[in-house]
Amino acid sequence: MTDLDKKGPQDAPPPAAHPEAIKAIPVRHYGRYVSAVIALAVLAALVWAFAKGDINWGAIPDYFFNDRILRGVRETLILTFVSMAIGIAGGVLLAVMRLSRNPVTSSIAWFYIWFFRGTPVLVQLFVWFNLGFVFDYINLGPVYKDEWSDFMTPFLTALLGLGLNEAAYMAEICRAGLLSVDEGQTEASHALGMSHGKTLRRVIIPQAMRVIVPPTGNEVINMLKTTSLVAAVQYYELLKYAQDIGQTSGATVEVLFLAAAWYLIMTSILSVGQYYLERYYARGSSRALPPTVLQRIKANMLSLSNRPSGGVSA
Amino acid sequence: MTAMVKAEGVHKSFGNVQVLKGIDLEVATGEVFCLIGPSGSGKSTFLRCINHLEKINAGRLYVDGELVGYRQKGQKLYELRDTEVARQRRDIGMVFQRFNLFPHMTALENVTEAPVQVKGESKATARERAGQLLERVGLGDKAKSYPSQLSGGQQQRVAIARALAMEPKLMLFDEPTSALDPELVGDVLDVMRDLAESGMTMIVVTHEMGFAREVGDSLVFMDEGVVVESGHPREVLTDPRHERTKSFLSKVL
Repeated sequence: MTDLDKKGPQDAPPPAAHPEAIKAIPVRHYGRYVSAVIALAVLAALVWAFAKGDINWGAIPDYFFNDRILRGVRETLILTFVSMAIGIAGGVLLAVMRLSRNPVTSSIAWFYIWFFRGTPVLVQLFVWFNLGFVFDYINLGPVYKDEWSDFMTPFLTALLGLGLNEAAYMAEICRAGLLSVDEGQTEASHALGMSHGKTLRRVIIPQAMRVIVPPTGNEVINMLKTTSLVAAVQYYELLKYAQDIGQTSGATVEVLFLAAAWYLIMTSILSVGQYYLERYYARGSSRALPPTVLQRIKANMLSLSNRPSGGVSA
Repeated sequence: MTAMVKAEGVHKSFGNVQVLKGIDLEVATGEVFCLIGPSGSGKSTFLRCINHLEKINAGRLYVDGELVGYRQKGQKLYELRDTEVARQRRDIGMVFQRFNLFPHMTALENVTEAPVQVKGESKATARERAGQLLERVGLGDKAKSYPSQLSGGQQQRVAIARALAMEPKLMLFDEPTSALDPELVGDVLDVMRDLAESGMTMIVVTHEMGFAREVGDSLVFMDEGVVVESGHPREVLTDPRHERTKSFLSKVL
């Protein structure tokens, strides 16, 4: 190795007092202008087509807060959250079964996931709906006995169809989350004398949540939309009520728009909720928490008003 | 002096690979016992056997006179239940090469977690003692910081405080300074030296020969799953008898 010629600070050239700010002509991206114009033109054509179409726009506000629509919204939300609860509970159970060292439980979990992920949820819904052709009675021994048709109401059909299917997806999400936590965490907890259960509850799951929450938020939003499928098994939720109103009032397409608007409103609210949940579980993983929506809006406003008036002029 | 740790013919293999091929040694109470050797010599594995993070395949391992991981009745060995193994581990603190702090808890919460959850201490007492322990490792002002906001050296010192919170009778150090930037090693070694002076029994797997020479009471050189040479650190490090020890030391010193 040759001796490097080390420069002390006294050898460095004196820094210029104020280096001149660079004023360069930015590169022009003509392709961007062209694509923007094309996109705008297509959008305008679409808007024009719908405006010219025979749509009774007035029907949408008329029915927006209709009793039946509101009832449908409520049913949709109930169905979403209850089936999601079934899905999460079942998913956690399946994930733990799948990861257990017991070959019987892990194979059963594997089979369950294979079956429910491998068949369309609409088919599953129809199967639940039509099980009455196979069973006349439900008989749980001394606990419960009833005629099948009284037992399997449309609500239960919808819940079982959506919830059990969701459990298979949640199981994979939970499993990925649990596996994502470093093995060293388990070792450290065990070395401190913590039991398996405590380790799971206090150390592994809180960290797995960071991996589990974002996809679960997606699942909730997906579930909200998937609930519309249960209209096919005669369960009255938002879509089914909307279709009913459409048939009686003749505003078929308009009420579908209306339903779509309600779905959009609900999914948007859920997205905001998901953002805050993710923020909560990001504790400790990044040095600073991501800003809340309000903080972000504030920051944006400040940066707008503080934007230097001079800057680089094109 | 009584033996805190006693190993008799400890064997351990992973699949077909024999990692420990019969380790016999004794660690006296209050002693600072250093384990050195090339990587793959089995020193970390041996350390992990002491608190049953690894199950041994043959031999006997005692901590404070108690068989680790098993109960012996006559000639038969019975595996201990998880809860019984957990109880044995309470009294053995461990510090890892990669710290393994709980990233979702603050430094203080890391230290209070085990006393509260395992020993059932009240939160107030645990918090007070955790504050003192953090003070002791020089991090009194970092109680509210999350591990990601701390440097490697600070994280390792929190990890030491976390292990001490359980008031162990034995501390295991698994290359505690190997993952640290060189300028951060000193702070961690200072804490360990301080701990050694307080009379804690310590088993230290390390590459810090300076620390071993200065603080260690005994030193063992391991290679390929066996103890090659043991003795007082100053003797072994300055005047090794075995060729293998000589060639190893010539590379690291």
